[in-house]
Amino acid sequence: MAKKIKLSPMLKEVLCQIFRKPATRKYPEVKPKVPDDFRGRQIFDIDLCIGCGLCARDCPAEAIEMVDVEEKKKPLFHLDLCIFCYQCAESCPRNAIKTSKFFELASTNKYDLVIKPQTKSKKEMRRKNDSGTGRSGIGCFGFFGSLP
Amino acid sequence: MSLDLAFIFRVLIFPGFAFIFSLTMFCDWVERKIEARMQNRMGPTYTGPAGILQPFADFVKLLAKEDIVPSDTKSVVFKFAPVLSFSIFVFALFFLPIDGANVVLNSGFEGDLIFVLALVSVANFFLFLSGWSSTNPYSAIGATRVLTQFLGYDIPLFIFALTSAFLANDLSISTISASQPVPFALLVPWAFVLFIITLQAELEKDPFDVPHAETEIVAGYETEYSGRRLAFLKLAKDVQIVLGAVIVVELFLSGPYGPVFLGLPAFWYTLWFILKVLFVVMITEYLTCVFARLRIDQVLVINWRMLIPLSILSLVATVAVAFWLNPMVG
Amino acid sequence: MTNVEQNVLTALSGELGEKILKIETPQPEKIFIRVKAGVHRDALRILLSKDESTGISAITGVDLGETIELMYHIRTCGTVVTIRTEVPKGEARIKSITDLIPGANFHEREVADLFGVTFEGHPNPKRLILSDDWPKNLFPLRKDADVTNIETKAEKVTPPGRDKQSSDIGTLINVIVGPQHPALIEPEKFSLKVDGEVVKEVDLRIGYVHRGIEKAAEKRTYLQDIYLVERICGICNAAHAAGFCQTVEAIMGTKVPPRAEYLRTIILELNRIHSHMLLLGHAGLEAGYETFFQYMWRDREPVMDIMELLTGNRVIPSFITIGGVRRDTKEERIAEIKAKLATLKKKMSFYKQLLKKDPTLKMRTENVGILSRLDALKLCVVGPVARGSDVKMDVRKDEPYAAYGEIPFKMITYSEGDSWARLMVRLDEVSESIGIINFALDNLPTGPYRVRVSRIVPTGEAISSVEAPRGELFYYVKSNGTAYPERVKVRTPTFSNIPSFAKIAKGGNLADVPISFVSLDPCFACNDR
Repeated sequence: MAKKIKLSPMLKEVLCQIFRKPATRKYPEVKPKVPDDFRGRQIFDIDLCIGCGLCARDCPAEAIEMVDVEEKKKPLFHLDLCIFCYQCAESCPRNAIKTSKFFELASTNKYDLVIKPQTKSKKEMRRKNDSGTGRSGIGCFGFFGSLP
Repeated sequence: MSLDLAFIFRVLIFPGFAFIFSLTMFCDWVERKIEARMQNRMGPTYTGPAGILQPFADFVKLLAKEDIVPSDTKSVVFKFAPVLSFSIFVFALFFLPIDGANVVLNSGFEGDLIFVLALVSVANFFLFLSGWSSTNPYSAIGATRVLTQFLGYDIPLFIFALTSAFLANDLSISTISASQPVPFALLVPWAFVLFIITLQAELEKDPFDVPHAETEIVAGYETEYSGRRLAFLKLAKDVQIVLGAVIVVELFLSGPYGPVFLGLPAFWYTLWFILKVLFVVMITEYLTCVFARLRIDQVLVINWRMLIPLSILSLVATVAVAFWLNPMVG
Repeated sequence: MTNVEQNVLTALSGELGEKILKIETPQPEKIFIRVKAGVHRDALRILLSKDESTGISAITGVDLGETIELMYHIRTCGTVVTIRTEVPKGEARIKSITDLIPGANFHEREVADLFGVTFEGHPNPKRLILSDDWPKNLFPLRKDADVTNIETKAEKVTPPGRDKQSSDIGTLINVIVGPQHPALIEPEKFSLKVDGEVVKEVDLRIGYVHRGIEKAAEKRTYLQDIYLVERICGICNAAHAAGFCQTVEAIMGTKVPPRAEYLRTIILELNRIHSHMLLLGHAGLEAGYETFFQYMWRDREPVMDIMELLTGNRVIPSFITIGGVRRDTKEERIAEIKAKLATLKKKMSFYKQLLKKDPTLKMRTENVGILSRLDALKLCVVGPVARGSDVKMDVRKDEPYAAYGEIPFKMITYSEGDSWARLMVRLDEVSESIGIINFALDNLPTGPYRVRVSRIVPTGEAISSVEAPRGELFYYVKSNGTAYPERVKVRTPTFSNIPSFAKIAKGGNLADVPISFVSLDPCFACNDR
C-alpha cells in the first residue's frame, strides 16, 4: 500500500467522454450502411434457373425445397431455416441467386419468411409492393399461395 | 388534535416525503445519464423527456410484479426489512435542513449529528438482515460482506463527520450547516476528500462495490427478492445515496445556504440544496465509473490500515485549524 | 521428413524395436506409429524423457467396425507424433496415461463417454460430455449406435437433493456457480467448496452445450461440414473453418493459391482481434470495471465492420472453403480497412497504459490465479494461457500454415503466470495482429483466389492445427472415398485449458474466481461441441 499509486489514464478519458457524442446509433431512425455484397436476403431470378437442384442438395441447413412450378422443379427458400451462407449462390451453375442488402427480415407473419419461385407476372406485382420492410406484398401472396 | 395543515404539508409534500421521493428519482436519473455519457452511450432516453421518468417507471414496474417469498426464510424479517430500511433512511433525512429548516420545524437538537449517523448504521443493518434472512448462499455471502464493510467504514465516517463538528463547535446539524460562511470543504479539504471516499464505501459503490458484485454472487443480498419488496429495496439504496450526498452537503458544503436574490429565501435555499446534492452525486458517480471493483479483503485493508489512521490524523489537523481559525467561524 | 521427425523416429524405434507394428506418414512431417495396446505408455515415457515439454494434443477414437482405434496425438520435440493402437470393441480397455501426463484427464474421459473405452487407472472416471441421464451403454460415436428416440431411453437420475446441493460439509459452504449464473455467458457447472472466502475444492462438470457436432459431421457432405464446424463457436469461427479446410486439403493434396493464403490470414487475424477485445471487455466486466467493458466493445465495432466489408457478414464470415476463399477483395476497400486499423492501434496503446497503471485493475488481476510453468506444461494448456506462463507455444510459429511462414511477427510471452499476464498477452497480440494484417494487405499476391476441387475426397486421413484465438485448435479428418467424411475429430483449445481452472482456483479467494476464470478465456460452445 505504500507504493506510489500511479494515476490511471481512465481518469482523464472518462471526463473527456462526457462531452463527446454517444457512440450509439439511433436505430431504427438511423439505418446502418452495409456494403454492396452484404449477405442479406436472396434475390432469385426464376428465368435463369434450370431446376438442377444443386442449391437444395448443397444447402447446409436444408432450407431449400424443390417445388413444382409449371411442371418444372424450382427452389423454394425457407428463410427461417436459412443461415445466409450463400452456398446456394455458389453452387448454382447459372448464377440465378444473388445477394442483396436487405437484412430487416423480422416479421410477425411466418409466411413472409419464404421466397417462393414465381413466374413473371406475379414477380412484377411483388416488386411494386415491396417497400423494404418485412411485411411486403410477398406476405399476402405467400399466405394465399401456401395454403394447402 | 388540531389539523396543522402547514405541518402536514411539510411532512408529506415539501420538503417531506414527496419531495424526497422525487429528489431520489431525479438523482437516480442524473446518475444513470452521467454514467452513460461517461461510457459513451445514451442512457435513459425514451420514457419522458430525455428519459427523466425512467427510474419512476422502473419502480412502478417492480411494484406490479409477482412477489415470491421462499418457504425457508424467516418470514417477518424477510418481509419487512426492505421497507424498514427505506423508512429509516427517509426518517434520517427529516433531520437535515433542506429549505433552510428541517422538515419538521425546530426538530433539530443538540447531538443530532450522532443520531443521524446512527440511523444510517441501523438502516444499513436492516439491509444486512434482508440478505441474512433469505436462506440462500449467495445472499448470505452478500449480507456478510455488507456487514463487514459498513461496520468497518462507520468508524472513519464518524470521525470525519466530527471534523465539521469541531470546526463549528456544535453537534447539531442545523447549526453546523448554518455556520459555514466559507464551506468547510475549502477549510479542511483533506477531510472533504477522505469523507467522499468513505462515503463511497458506505454507499457500496465502485471501487467498494463488493456486496453487489453481480458477477460473483448473483445479486448479493437482493437475490431472493422480487416484486414489491425488491422495489423498496432498490428505493432504499437510492435514498441511501441521496442521504449520503445530503450529509456531505450539510457538513462540508454549507448546507442549503447560499446567495439569495430578490427575496424568497426558501426557494433559493432549495435550489442551492438541489444543485449541491447533484454536484456530490456526480462526484460519486465519476468515482464509480473510473475504478474497478476491489476484493473484500482489499477493501478492509484500505479501511483499517489507511482510512482510520488518516482519519485520526485529519482530526488532529482539524483541531489545529479550528483553534487557528476561531475568529472566522461564527 | 525433416531432422526433427527423424530424431524422434530413431529414438522410438531404437527403444521399442519390434513393438512398433507400422510407421506411416500420410502427410509430410507428420508421423503415425502403430503399436500394440499397452506399448503406448512406453512410447510416451521415451518421448517424455527426451523432451520435458511433451504434451498431449488430443486423443482421437475411431470406430473401425470390430475394433476401436485410439490415436494419441503428442506434441513433442517441436513436432506432432501420433501413436495409434487398437482395442477390441467387446473388451474395450486400455491403460490410462494420466499418471504420466495429467493433462490427458479430460481427453480420456471424453473418449470413454463417446466410445465406451475404459481407461484403467484413471483418477476420476465420471461422465464428462454426455448428460447424466444418457443411457449407460449407448456410445454415440460408434457406427452401430442407434440414437433415434433417445428420450425414451433416458436413465432415471435423481437430482441432487436440496441437502446435498447446498449443504455445508463441516465448515465448508458449497457455492455452485452455474449452470445459470451472471458470470457465465454459457452454462457449465462449477461446484466450489468454500471456507469463508477461501476456495478449498473445485469440481467441474461440462457438457451442457454438447450438440453432437462430430456425429453430425459424418452425416453431411464435406461442403456442408465447413458451415457446420464454423458454427461450433461464434467467436473463433474462422479458425474452425480454416482447420477443417486445411485438413481436407491435406488429404486431397490440394495446394491453395498464394492469394487465398494471404486472404485467409487476414480473416484469421481479424477473428483474433475481435475475440481478444471481446475477452478483455468481459474481463473488465468481471472485475466490476464497466467503463472499460463499454469502451472496449465500442472499439471492437470497427473490426466487425471490416469483417463485413471483406466477407458480407459481421460475425460468421463463411469466407474459407476447401481450395481457397469464397470471394475476392476489391482494391478500393483496402485503404478504408487500413484507416480503421490505424485508429484501432492508437486505442490499443491507451488500453495498454490502462492495464499497466490503473491501480484497482492491477490490484484485482496481479498475483491472482497463478499458473506456474511446470503446471502449464503438465496440464497441456495451450494458447495465451500457456504463453502467459512463459511456455513458448504458438502454432503459427511452430507449424506455419496459411501465409504465416512469410509474415514476420513476434510471439508474445509473459512470465508472471497470473491473470494480469494472460490479459496482457492478449492485448499485445491484438497489436501484433494489426501489424500482420497491414503486412498482408500491403503484400497481397495477385492471382486466383480459389481452385475448384472435387466433391469426392479420396481415402486417407490427415491432422492439422490452427492457432485459434484461444489456442491450438486441432483437427483430424478421415475419409473413406465418398462425399461424406468417415470421422471428424475436433479438439478445441478450451477443452485443454478448462482443467487448469481447478488448479488456479484452489487456495484462492472466492472473489478471485471470476477473474481467474475469465482470464482463461473459456468458450463453452467450443468446449462441448
